[in-house]
Amino acid sequence: MNGPQAPLLELRNLVVRYGSITALHGINLKVQAGELVTLLGANGAGKSTTLRAISGLIHPVGGEILWHGGLINRLRTERTVKLGISHCPEGRRVLSRQSVADNLALGAWLRRNKVAIASDLERCYALFPRLAERRSQLAGSLSGGEQQMLAISRSLMARPTLLMLDEPSLGLAPRLVAEVMAALSQLHRDGLTILLVEQNAQAALTIADRGLVLEAGSISAGGSAEQLLADNSLQASYLGAN
Amino acid sequence: MEGLLQLLFNGLSVGAVYALFALGYTLVFSVLGVINFAHGAIFTMGAYFTYLLIGGAVGANGLLAGLQFPFALPFWLALPLAGIAAAAVALVVERIAFRPLRDRGSDPLLALITSLGAGVILVNLIQLLVGAESYSIPVGTLGSLPAALSIAGAKVRTVQVMLLAISGLLLAALSIWINGSRSGKALQAVSEDPVTAQLLGINSARVIQIAFGISGFLAGMAGGLVGLSISIAGPYFGIGYGLKGLGVLVLGGLGSVPGAVLGGLIIGLAEACVPADLSGYKDAVSFGFLFLVLLVRPQGLLGRPQANKV
Repeated sequence: MNGPQAPLLELRNLVVRYGSITALHGINLKVQAGELVTLLGANGAGKSTTLRAISGLIHPVGGEILWHGGLINRLRTERTVKLGISHCPEGRRVLSRQSVADNLALGAWLRRNKVAIASDLERCYALFPRLAERRSQLAGSLSGGEQQMLAISRSLMARPTLLMLDEPSLGLAPRLVAEVMAALSQLHRDGLTILLVEQNAQAALTIADRGLVLEAGSISAGGSAEQLLADNSLQASYLGAN
Repeated sequence: MEGLLQLLFNGLSVGAVYALFALGYTLVFSVLGVINFAHGAIFTMGAYFTYLLIGGAVGANGLLAGLQFPFALPFWLALPLAGIAAAAVALVVERIAFRPLRDRGSDPLLALITSLGAGVILVNLIQLLVGAESYSIPVGTLGSLPAALSIAGAKVRTVQVMLLAISGLLLAALSIWINGSRSGKALQAVSEDPVTAQLLGINSARVIQIAFGISGFLAGMAGGLVGLSISIAGPYFGIGYGLKGLGVLVLGGLGSVPGAVLGGLIIGLAEACVPADLSGYKDAVSFGFLFLVLLVRPQGLLGRPQANKV
């Protein structure tokens, strides 16, 4: 451990390969406790790979992943969950054959304190009242937006220190995107640290403190959300016409 | 009427063993999406373990010729112990034939070949150790129980009643475990989406081991029961059951637990309906039946349409 000023999460020169294809060419990234950082970029830029490496779904071939300053490169996924890293995957991936309530219960898999779990469940239902109405419904029968709310809630049920979300706005109608972003912003205000991967840069930067732009496996730009929103060339080249 | 009852009993007791057998396939299939082709060999080993544990002696061939344990356990104790030993074998198969491929991220289908290889090795190992002759578990094993019972006028072998009762108990225990226990819930989650299960903090490697262990336990118990009911017809006798089990699996619907049970019972009953003088056509009847069902329902009786599995 590197003392109290070490960031919550730090990537140093992280290199990840899929077979012979290099997906991340040595990226650097810091997330301080309490921040909402968004990682932007086009399809295939390496955003999901970054999250997958942090949560241990794929192990990097070079560089360091530091958690509170300690190296966690080779940890298996269930260990990173235990550390407090909750990864809400792309495409929601709710367990469609199980009920909303069962999905949420699985989110608290590694926790034992029934009272705390029950109170977190109520917080999720308060955050997304629609889930409460559908708690006994099969997750597969929910709409896309509801599934996204369920996926986020399920990640919250682990009571994470860091919540990582992979394209929560994907495939959602604009009204639902706004609803999901508002919920994330609320969580951020309540003190949760969030690493948000998005293609919808406009929506993400509206709620983020800082943003980084990934391009072909390297970080090509970064700055405060205001700076990035104001940067017209950036908007044109990487962030799409939003 | 008695004839019908007898037929029903014969069919259900054989079918229950098929169901046990197919459930072993189902457990592994549901977490890995592949068939463990060593399953038949593990079943065979369970039969031999049972034979040895009740105090049976190895014949004149094989490296272990003449071996006999200095104790003779009662059948009710030997059977679960044989199941545990078979579970241990299944765990070794997982470690050697499945895990190395998974760790390298290979195509899951490759495990078909490695498990087939593991099965061949196990069968040959049996032959090397105890020879190729057949062994039968003596009737006296059941102690003071009579060889046959009379139920509602039908004469039923005690062994068949045991087969049915033990299989029924195991099936019930398994479904309680899957739906009621923590590890059963983990199994369901891994079976639906292994990556998501990991992201929830479920140790999927452990869940896979549990699936193999239980699968081996069921196979070993089924092997011991069949060994008692018929005989152990040599190291290859699990292969026929292995194929039959695959038929049951496909009939019921790949990956479906109730499907495996239903499929087993149906095939058992279908075979029992074959008259004694045509018993050579049993396999043709059961596989013909499978063929017909698949024409109408390609996903099996209780299977989900393929679109669900990515």
